[in-house]
Amino acid sequence: MAEIRFAGYGGQGIIRSGIIVGKAASIYDNKHGTMSQSFGPEARGGACSSQLVVSDSKVLYPYITVADILVAMSQAGYDKFEAELGDDGLLIFDEDLVEPKSPHGNIKTFAIPATRFAEQLGKKIVANVVILGFFTAITDVVSYEAMKKAIPDSVPEKAIDLNMKAFEHGYNFGLELLKKQKDPQK
Amino acid sequence: MNLITSIFNKGIETSGIERKRISIPSDIPFSPEVIEKLGVDYFHTARGRAIPFGTGLKLGNPDLRVMPVTGDLMTLGGNHFVHGVRRNMELLVICVNNFIYKKIDGKTAPSTANKFSPYSTFEEPFNFPHLGNSCGAVYTARWTALHAEELAASIAEAITKPGLAVIEIIAPGPNYYTDIDDIDENLLKFYFDNSIIKNDTNPREVGITPEDKIIVGRFTDKKRPTFIDVYNVQLGKTIGEKFTPYGVTQTEKKKSGGSDGGN
Amino acid sequence: MKANPKHVLTGVYYIDGDVASGYGAMAAGCRFIAGYPITPSTEAFEAFCRWGPQVGAMFIQMEDELGSISAVVGAVWSGIKSMTITSGPGYSLMMETIGYGAMLETPFVLLNIQRGGPSTGVPTKTGQADMMQSRWGSHGDYELIAFAPESPQEMFDYTIRAFNLAEKYRCPVMIMSDECVGHMTEKVVIPEADKIDIEPRRFYTGPPEQYLPFKPDPDLVPKMAKAGDGFKLYITGLLHDEKGHPVSNEEYSMKYVKRLVDKIRLNKDKIIELKEENTEDADIVVVSYGISSRVAVKGVEIARQRGIKVGALRLVTVWPFPDEKIAELAKKTKAFVVPEINYGQVVFDVARCVHGQSNIVLVPHGGAGVHNPADIADAIEYAAKTDKQIEGVVEFKTRLEKLVFEGGFKLKE
Repeated sequence: MAEIRFAGYGGQGIIRSGIIVGKAASIYDNKHGTMSQSFGPEARGGACSSQLVVSDSKVLYPYITVADILVAMSQAGYDKFEAELGDDGLLIFDEDLVEPKSPHGNIKTFAIPATRFAEQLGKKIVANVVILGFFTAITDVVSYEAMKKAIPDSVPEKAIDLNMKAFEHGYNFGLELLKKQKDPQK
Repeated sequence: MNLITSIFNKGIETSGIERKRISIPSDIPFSPEVIEKLGVDYFHTARGRAIPFGTGLKLGNPDLRVMPVTGDLMTLGGNHFVHGVRRNMELLVICVNNFIYKKIDGKTAPSTANKFSPYSTFEEPFNFPHLGNSCGAVYTARWTALHAEELAASIAEAITKPGLAVIEIIAPGPNYYTDIDDIDENLLKFYFDNSIIKNDTNPREVGITPEDKIIVGRFTDKKRPTFIDVYNVQLGKTIGEKFTPYGVTQTEKKKSGGSDGGN
Repeated sequence: MKANPKHVLTGVYYIDGDVASGYGAMAAGCRFIAGYPITPSTEAFEAFCRWGPQVGAMFIQMEDELGSISAVVGAVWSGIKSMTITSGPGYSLMMETIGYGAMLETPFVLLNIQRGGPSTGVPTKTGQADMMQSRWGSHGDYELIAFAPESPQEMFDYTIRAFNLAEKYRCPVMIMSDECVGHMTEKVVIPEADKIDIEPRRFYTGPPEQYLPFKPDPDLVPKMAKAGDGFKLYITGLLHDEKGHPVSNEEYSMKYVKRLVDKIRLNKDKIIELKEENTEDADIVVVSYGISSRVAVKGVEIARQRGIKVGALRLVTVWPFPDEKIAELAKKTKAFVVPEINYGQVVFDVARCVHGQSNIVLVPHGGAGVHNPADIADAIEYAAKTDKQIEGVVEFKTRLEKLVFEGGFKLKE
């Protein structure tokens, strides 16, 4: 089971990210993925988050108790949810937007300039999909194949190509990073 | 049938609309005999809800002509009234005004009908035609119950209007429909004698005061797209070809070979 | 009868409970929704509005909830299936007309996405504190049916079931969901139309002159007619005879009101739906509904790991209440544990049926969240270890309560 928090600000596609991963896991990977988004004042004032629980069996408790993964796309989002990340958790963040503190416990951190990559690809708006590609490479929550099916389902038709490109870009960046980290020097 | 329901009967007759197509949702209890004679469907609603109930009937089956008759129109039903008029729902709203709000100079009966307080009432009343008109009613009129011919003609005219029409009837007695003995004939005559027909008066100027004569007549008669009209235009625009315009009558559907919309 | 394929969005979706209910309404043949937007129910209205008009359905955003439910009752009498959608404050406004609908034996569905209360409460978070209101909210005696779904898939399935039972018993049916399920996004499978059973309206087909709108069939449910067919319907919220004409004597009142309640009570076995798990040899039985029943399974798992023999009874329908089932379980069960997101509502109905034979432990929650499964497990353990008979309902002290009132506890374990 994995408890995942996506955090950022409104307009970054934070909720959409939760939906894409949840959909990939539950429809294409045959797992159970339960996504809940935060509503209310905290969702309107800029900060925005969604929580996703992915499990091999039915998700009984739909909310995060201790997060296994935090995907942070804003400093405010990181600051708010960093504490709920478990000691063995994973932190994935946009390195141009988030400046993390030194992590507690054995938290592993993975940084990507997702928004910068997205801008290079042509549209800042796909930064979340870049980070989802990166997420797919780094974690074993969802399969690459499932994500490739879930993304076209979840974005406007004319934006599919760009989104797939963004996903691949993030995914490859993640694979590269993992290769580098396997280097015994680390 | 008593005076007002006879006038309804005449109005319906004159309109030429098939009686079974007419529904009367009303928060006033009609007697079963009256409904039997009118030959319509009747729904005695919760207090003040005749207009939204009628809205459901009309939207559920746009072939129906719906005539909400209300007593609690501007109290419990006030918000339904202004919104019904605003969206121009196809309803003929009959408002029975029995003056439970203000004493007409020298006469006691109208306000003594208000048994809620022993002190009569002292609040400023609504001017219904004006309120209806300013919210966008396509038709407003006021008659006393003794203007039988004018009122029947008004009903016949208004019931076919595409949009929300309002007819205010000045009539005494809170229990007008079920018990003919309640009618105070002197009072009716008093209203009739103290009224003056002034068609096309600006509704702003037809407020009832103790000093002046009651202005009756037809005040508004205009055209405005109905709720279903604008619904069809807007959804047609946004949904495009997949959208089947709503409320096309059965006959029109058969002609155009359109879908029946399912079970 | 099977669903109309045009109304069924067959496929596999990843949607939230609200949306699933909107799609369920469409599949059930709902043709009209009137509502007034209120968090956290709005998505259901939106979902219906998005697809409904493409297959001939109509929606209207009314001026308030009083208008919404009145329009729904009107639309049903025009001959179509209708629904309204709301949450707490709107639900309160609808109460008068729920009773009116019951009195007129009007089949309609009401989806209440419960939120934290009372009053404006917590619009964006969950609650289960409208349960008794759903049972007793409108004045006068009547019975109705209420479901408590626990997942988006069930929101779809039980919205259809709600429409079917509404038609079958000619009464309002409540879907008492909550914000957690309403805003929970999961996989929802919408089957082919020919896999979905639809209960058509019981229309009267004889000659109009002989029609008696409130003359019951042997199952106590009368046949319906609709406006516009020349029946000269006389339908009133006043007490009425079989013709629908107003009457006011005590004999009629007895006859009519008794039938209103009996048509549900005597058909209870066909209406009630329960999910029972490992209750046969259980010392403790957890009775729950809606989202709490889902979280309770986790609590039950933890308790089983602690070696306690615990079973679960899930009320898929909460009303009518399964009196006999609870009474039967009470004979062999040491204690009942009832988690609900309120300070005791359905638990008192459990107590009524248990009749002092077993202990009863309420696991309360003040709303704006769901139970911590560990609390439910602790309550089960407490119930298992308590040998003395305790009068009434024991209110279990949860971690959150200790944290709030005593301080010092770590919130989540």
